Amino acid sequence: MNKTLKGAALAATAGLLLAACGGSSGGGGKSLTISSDLPLQGTNKDQNTEANNAMQLYLDQIGNKVTAKDGTVYSLNFKAYDDSTAAKGSWDDAQCAKNAQDHVANAAEIAVMGTFNSGCAKIIVPILNQDPNGPMLMVSNANTNPGLTKAWDPGEPQKYYPTGKRNYGRVIATDDFQGAGGAQFAAQDLKVKKCYVLDDNSTYGMGVAKAFADAAPGQGITVAGMEAYDPKQPNYSALFNKIKGIGGVDCIYVGATYDMNGGQIVKDKVGVLGDNQQVKLIVPDGFVGYSEFDNLPEAQGAYMTFSGLAADSLIKRGGKPASFNDAFQKKYGHSLQNSYSIYAVAALQVILAGIEASDGTRAGLTSAVLGGSGVTVPADISMLGKEIHLDPATGDTTAHDMTILTVSNNKEVTLKPWTVQ
Amino acid sequence: MTGHKAIEDRSNRRWAIGFTAVAVFLFVLYHWIVPNGPSWLHDFVQGWFSNANTNEMIVYIIMALGLNVVVGYAGLLDLGFVAFWAIGGYVAGWLMSSFLGNFKINIFGNPAPGLEMGIHVTFWWVLLAAGGFCAIWGIIIGAPTLRLKSDYLALVTLGFGEIIPQVFINGQDINGFNLSNGNQGITPIDPIRFFGFRNLGPFDLDYKFVIYAVICAGMVMVSLRLRQGRLGRAWLAIREDELAASMMGVPLMRTKLAAYAVGAFSGGLGGVVFATHINGIFAERFNFSISILILAMVVLGGMGNVWGVMVGAIVLSWINGIGLQQFGNTVNGAFNTNIDFPSFNFLIFGSLLILMMMFRREGFIPEARVRLVMHEHEDDNEEVH
Repeated sequence: MNKTLKGAALAATAGLLLAACGGSSGGGGKSLTISSDLPLQGTNKDQNTEANNAMQLYLDQIGNKVTAKDGTVYSLNFKAYDDSTAAKGSWDDAQCAKNAQDHVANAAEIAVMGTFNSGCAKIIVPILNQDPNGPMLMVSNANTNPGLTKAWDPGEPQKYYPTGKRNYGRVIATDDFQGAGGAQFAAQDLKVKKCYVLDDNSTYGMGVAKAFADAAPGQGITVAGMEAYDPKQPNYSALFNKIKGIGGVDCIYVGATYDMNGGQIVKDKVGVLGDNQQVKLIVPDGFVGYSEFDNLPEAQGAYMTFSGLAADSLIKRGGKPASFNDAFQKKYGHSLQNSYSIYAVAALQVILAGIEASDGTRAGLTSAVLGGSGVTVPADISMLGKEIHLDPATGDTTAHDMTILTVSNNKEVTLKPWTVQ
Repeated sequence: MTGHKAIEDRSNRRWAIGFTAVAVFLFVLYHWIVPNGPSWLHDFVQGWFSNANTNEMIVYIIMALGLNVVVGYAGLLDLGFVAFWAIGGYVAGWLMSSFLGNFKINIFGNPAPGLEMGIHVTFWWVLLAAGGFCAIWGIIIGAPTLRLKSDYLALVTLGFGEIIPQVFINGQDINGFNLSNGNQGITPIDPIRFFGFRNLGPFDLDYKFVIYAVICAGMVMVSLRLRQGRLGRAWLAIREDELAASMMGVPLMRTKLAAYAVGAFSGGLGGVVFATHINGIFAERFNFSISILILAMVVLGGMGNVWGVMVGAIVLSWINGIGLQQFGNTVNGAFNTNIDFPSFNFLIFGSLLILMMMFRREGFIPEARVRLVMHEHEDDNEEVH
């Protein structure tokens, strides 16, 4: 019995070792790997797994190959990296640094789609930038921190590009646009006059809240106060009682992600200040895609901004997003549920357009996308239903689209698209 | 007693030789064999034992060795050790970057071109500064806990571990002073100058490994020497029976504070090493689960035994960082399954802890004294029968 067990264990170990050694795709000249770098553990797991599935499906649809303008056909592989750890339950700085090393070390890898968190991008981008065969291109579907591409905090964005060449782009608008768009919507459609601005003290939350607070006075809104809340507090009644004491506050803007105790903030806001009809609640896209939030009675009537076009409105428009959603539903049994998945495919399309225009090297791809006049994904194949173009000088998308959503009957419903002025 | 010490010395020598041999082998592997070897070897090493992961492991070893002094040697339960990691990391952020832009100080530092503002001190001095600064903080938190034991002590250290990261998370505006840049963190950290002849860039992981291994070896040596000396014996006496130790003339206050200071010093070193490893410092990292992870390394490895703690740190950091994920990829690839292995991480940690507490409470490689204490009653029973 013991011998049998030992034999089985040896066979299993040998099998695993063989699989471990034989799994590589090799570094052939016409085989390229496009990777994703997203947190696949913790609260963002489901939406990022969906993004990976969407990217793989898109590559399958194009036959896992792309033809460059010089006629070279590149076969494509997809590799998903996880930048989170179970111990943290979210993105992990050490894991981001390790992934960056792996991206560079994997000779077949040509570009990265990601990251989800701007903090992680701040670690990875400088390493990819110094790739001896690069700079290596990274295009994000979700990073909204402005400092990655434009002057924001001291030293930004130059400190992320030690070689002086840009290697990072994104297909989603930045927080400054989202915050400003939120303020425009609040003034023009909701007609609010006095807002109190909260943030969760994160890179993202502070950025978007600051952008809202900066834009509000220009729209005729008085910012009654601005402060960070502690996401570890059990309740925020005292905070909202203080706001109630100010008097005349008719809107609360919460620059945060739902994970940062957003549920409690919303409950206490309604508990103290009244429902979202009396005192408007506006939240950024850090709350989008969380069914727990949508199901809260206190969330009904809340307004949400999304830095881009929402999945449901894109799908309803028909064309490429709708047909892709049908294929996704057929393969995975459900339709695309979060907008970042669609933007992940859009980022992938930018990378593919770059490969078409390049010589198939990392440096060539980066200069194709972020050099000269850049690349454009035509509207007829674009996952966003419109032309996608990154400004080669900054890497930012030239489209400043935003969507206004509201929570109604436990669902996120698109109210209207909003172009930030 | 002398015979026992000789056996212990021999054992330590064997372990030290083994540690050096492994370190040399890894450097040769990363520096020569992998870059010049076949692609399958490159892929295998990159997937299972990458240089970046090994460097991160060393950070965990340094941390675990520090906590071992507090928990393993002196028997003082510390649930907030991550605070020292944070303080050490931020000392590196303050002294090795352009963050404090109102200053322009350079003491043998290596600022990257265009980032000359701020304070730039050489890595080695920053190590000492961070270690010293953390040691002071170790004494500060140690002082009020001197009269506390077990659960109460754990609660105080837990509080400290929660407070310090919060200070850094909220520290972007303290009366107008930006202490930590909040959750945005501090990047980049100046490159390390490798023994005076080259600046280590992001891809010089093999040279960084040498530096980190040297620091780790230093910490191992300090741990072993302290353990064998008068202070180490005093720590053990306190751990076994505080009242008896006090009656025998062990100065409780000084001895306990020394344990906190030495442990915190190590935490500070680890913090600086980590900051240079990831080229930045972010407050979001320093949460309670990291303190627990380090504690689990000490407990599983073998409290009080330097080598056991190292093994615990290597195993758990490997599982957490790369092992489980890679194992999952391999199994899924081989058997065409879609099992999310990393999601079982805490199940594995938890099961491992339960099994260890049931069948091997003393850890993987226990200290001889701990093993004797743990099996004291079993031996008594055997004698009775």
